[in-house]
Amino acid sequence: MLAYVARRLLLAVPTLLAVMTLVFVLVRIVPGDPAQTILGDQASQEALMAMRERLGLNRPLWEQYIDFLRDALSGDWGNSMVTGHPILQEILNVLPYTIDLTVASLIIGALFGIPLGVWSALHRNRLVDYVTRVGSLLGLSFPAFVSAILLLLVFSIELNWFPVISAGDRSSVGEVLENLALPAINLGLIMTAYITRVTRSSMLNVLGEDYIRTAHAKGLPNRAVIWIHALRNALIPVVTVVGLYLGILIGNSVLTEIVFNRPGLGKLIVGALSQRDYTMLQGLMVIYTFIIIIVNLLTDLTYGLIDPRVKYS
Amino acid sequence: MSAVADPGLPAKTGRALLIAQALKAFRANKLSSVGVVIFLTVVVLALLAPIIAPHDPLEQNILHRMEDPSAEFWLGTDSYGRDILSRLLYGARISLFIGVAAIGSAMLIGSTIGLYAGYRGGKVDAVIMQAMDVLLAFPALILGLVIVAMLGPSIQNLIIAISLTAIPPFARIARAPTIVVKERDFVEACRALGFNDTRIMLLHVLPNILSEILVMGSLWLATAIRVEASLSFIGLGVKPPTATWGGMIREGFEKILDTPWLSVFPGLAILLVVFSLNLIGDGLRDVIDPKTRTD
Amino acid sequence: MARRPANGQAPAQFALDVRGLTTSFYVGGKWFPAVRDVSFALKRHETLALVGESGCGKSMTAMSIMGLVPKDAGRVKAEAILFEGQDLARASEAKMREVRGDGISMVFQEPMTSLNPVLTIGFQVSEALRHHRGLSRRDAAARALHILDQVKIPSAKSRFNDYPHQFSGGMRQRVMIAMALACQPKILLADEPTTALDVTIQAQILELLRELKRETGMAMIFITHNLGVVAELADRVAVMYAGQIVEIAEVAELFARPTHPYTEALLRSIPRSDRDTAELYTIPGQVPPITRMPPGCKFADRCAYRLDRCQAEEQQLAPLAKAPAHAVRCWRRTEETQPEMVVVDA
Repeated sequence: MLAYVARRLLLAVPTLLAVMTLVFVLVRIVPGDPAQTILGDQASQEALMAMRERLGLNRPLWEQYIDFLRDALSGDWGNSMVTGHPILQEILNVLPYTIDLTVASLIIGALFGIPLGVWSALHRNRLVDYVTRVGSLLGLSFPAFVSAILLLLVFSIELNWFPVISAGDRSSVGEVLENLALPAINLGLIMTAYITRVTRSSMLNVLGEDYIRTAHAKGLPNRAVIWIHALRNALIPVVTVVGLYLGILIGNSVLTEIVFNRPGLGKLIVGALSQRDYTMLQGLMVIYTFIIIIVNLLTDLTYGLIDPRVKYS
Repeated sequence: MSAVADPGLPAKTGRALLIAQALKAFRANKLSSVGVVIFLTVVVLALLAPIIAPHDPLEQNILHRMEDPSAEFWLGTDSYGRDILSRLLYGARISLFIGVAAIGSAMLIGSTIGLYAGYRGGKVDAVIMQAMDVLLAFPALILGLVIVAMLGPSIQNLIIAISLTAIPPFARIARAPTIVVKERDFVEACRALGFNDTRIMLLHVLPNILSEILVMGSLWLATAIRVEASLSFIGLGVKPPTATWGGMIREGFEKILDTPWLSVFPGLAILLVVFSLNLIGDGLRDVIDPKTRTD
Repeated sequence: MARRPANGQAPAQFALDVRGLTTSFYVGGKWFPAVRDVSFALKRHETLALVGESGCGKSMTAMSIMGLVPKDAGRVKAEAILFEGQDLARASEAKMREVRGDGISMVFQEPMTSLNPVLTIGFQVSEALRHHRGLSRRDAAARALHILDQVKIPSAKSRFNDYPHQFSGGMRQRVMIAMALACQPKILLADEPTTALDVTIQAQILELLRELKRETGMAMIFITHNLGVVAELADRVAVMYAGQIVEIAEVAELFARPTHPYTEALLRSIPRSDRDTAELYTIPGQVPPITRMPPGCKFADRCAYRLDRCQAEEQQLAPLAKAPAHAVRCWRRTEETQPEMVVVDA
């Protein structure tokens, strides 16, 4: 299996290279002069020339490209055009926040979504099923920032249970959790909606399978049939969908981070975009691609845990 | 179970059956009808906005700033004294226009790409679909964010950005049946009769994928409206003072401690439209794919 | 058919006594019977074959006895289904779970889909033992291993923790049989256990079943559409058509004197090595769907000996005068032999 992971990561190299190339090209065909952007409208011609020189903008494109790739591979992702700090450092500083948020939302989603989906499937076409279906459809209709604002209004402003600004302090587990709670609940509820729906429909499919009939024919109690025989099979499509929705989750984390004023990749990318910080943007796109590759790999490895038919070869 | 396998239903095929099924499913699935009613209401209100809006959405009125809902301003006013209800009505026009235009073009371009890739097969197909997969893997919001930031925020660029993110799923839908149809004998026969390939594919593939494209369309329209609002909320949407739902929430969010309704009303508007579209898409999907049938 | 005492207790020689079993399905707003008023008794150690074309209610009969008919779609009614002094027709779901896989087991047609793909075969075979016998994981595994050996899974010990997809169809069916036999049931319901398998594998599985039956002394209901298999395996045969038993007799008697026109037609449609297969007889027409059952004899449409009366009135299953253990549901045949015959058995 290690060999499989290694090969998958190796296969990811061309993808990463393609994204980097694309980002490199995109950044350079965009209208607007980064030097101008950095120095502002009042900058003198000399200052602009000097800045272009410093950024390497006046060298031939292919030379810039080679440098860009070489530096990126050696871990030197350049410095932010705005703050001057090393890109990689800035990204790694906020990465834990985004990872915390994503993982916490996923856990909330699975913890509530899977039992809800199973419950709904078992009570097909009864009131609870109806309510769960409408509720989950409503849940995934929420734009993440609207739900975030509602949560903020109710729990932070009205009830004062959570901090209004979830920023920064990672000194203790308690602090981390307190700051994480509301943003994670926000994304977790949306994730719950997705997972509930897919668990329900997958469970309904599985309950019609021959091996479920076999399990009943053995005289097993209902809970054994459902939680041992059916659920494990029903989880296979759930993993697929969760893998896909992680992309949506990462997108939604941008909005969540803004509303709760929480550091993270999302806030970093919005800042980079509004300030036209191209080196930062390049770095962020590569990180996002890398995250997606890792997520896909983890998804495929999870299949192996659930489904013995999956072979890593 | 073989005993119930044949309840003796007459075998109908083709589009007539599909439409009949759709109507039946919609009748059975009350929620879908609710979705249709809500969505159509919003569309009509948006179209009639210039007639029914009680105020000019851009008209500032310093005497009536941040007022609570009243007889004159049903949903209150914002920090410039503009009427929230009127801005909501006009905002619906922007949201719906961008959504429909973006998804409409994504449908068209996506299915054309899928048809082409499926029909050509081989390396062309592999390269195109690989590119689509990479595009699909990227979070729609991040992709939209980057594209809009690059192109600059305007209605036209928003449409381009959102439609780019929505192309891959339509390409996938169109490709699968194309490959199947291509292998069938009648395609040879059609060719022998002198039909050209484009016409053959359109005639035989389109009817197969139309329903699925519509389902996908309604679900992606929901996504498009959500993404558009998100972009406006981040500040990369249509520029103020134009009324957009996302923009209204952004402005309201700054005053959230004093006047929460400024962001709550447009938030609920987005929720309502997205929810209605998801209800419709869900109902339509039940018709087309009985396996995932929910009732 | 022989009259049985109606005191609600099955005579001791019966492993199972089914009386008046009717199973209906809800189609388009109405209930339609898929199994209608089926009665038979299974003697201890006996193999009873249920024979008929697909869609005639054989499998549904077995599923009804097991209490496995899905509650939302089907409805099972019976005067009585007597098993070891209990009436399964009136047993609670909890009681049925105790009986299933313990007193009565079932083997299904599709070995490829009837095993759970994500659980090891060892787990699946020992599961019933742990549940019904309360054995520890280890004891159950030891017993399961013994049964896997018994059904001749080669090197069962090393394959104990393998998954179903690592086995061939024939081997999977052996695993299914091992699962069914784990708790040494009194009755095995085998629903076309060989239909999905290759011919050579079919023969092996049949041989295995015969052997196991001899070793364990269980009774078996063997469901098949293949009369060739019936001749090899069964003691008695019940022929089903459109949800009813149309003929029931000892196997030798049935093959010697097929009496119902449907049985006759079935026998004529068996491929035989001494005849040219090109002349193979096929029964014209098909089984009517349960939603459109004709009144009178359900086979009348396809019957070469049809009388006017057949389409108007339904005959009851009635014993032949010369062979009381041989019962037939046909006006013409019962009247030809004994015109004044009065129907006794409901």
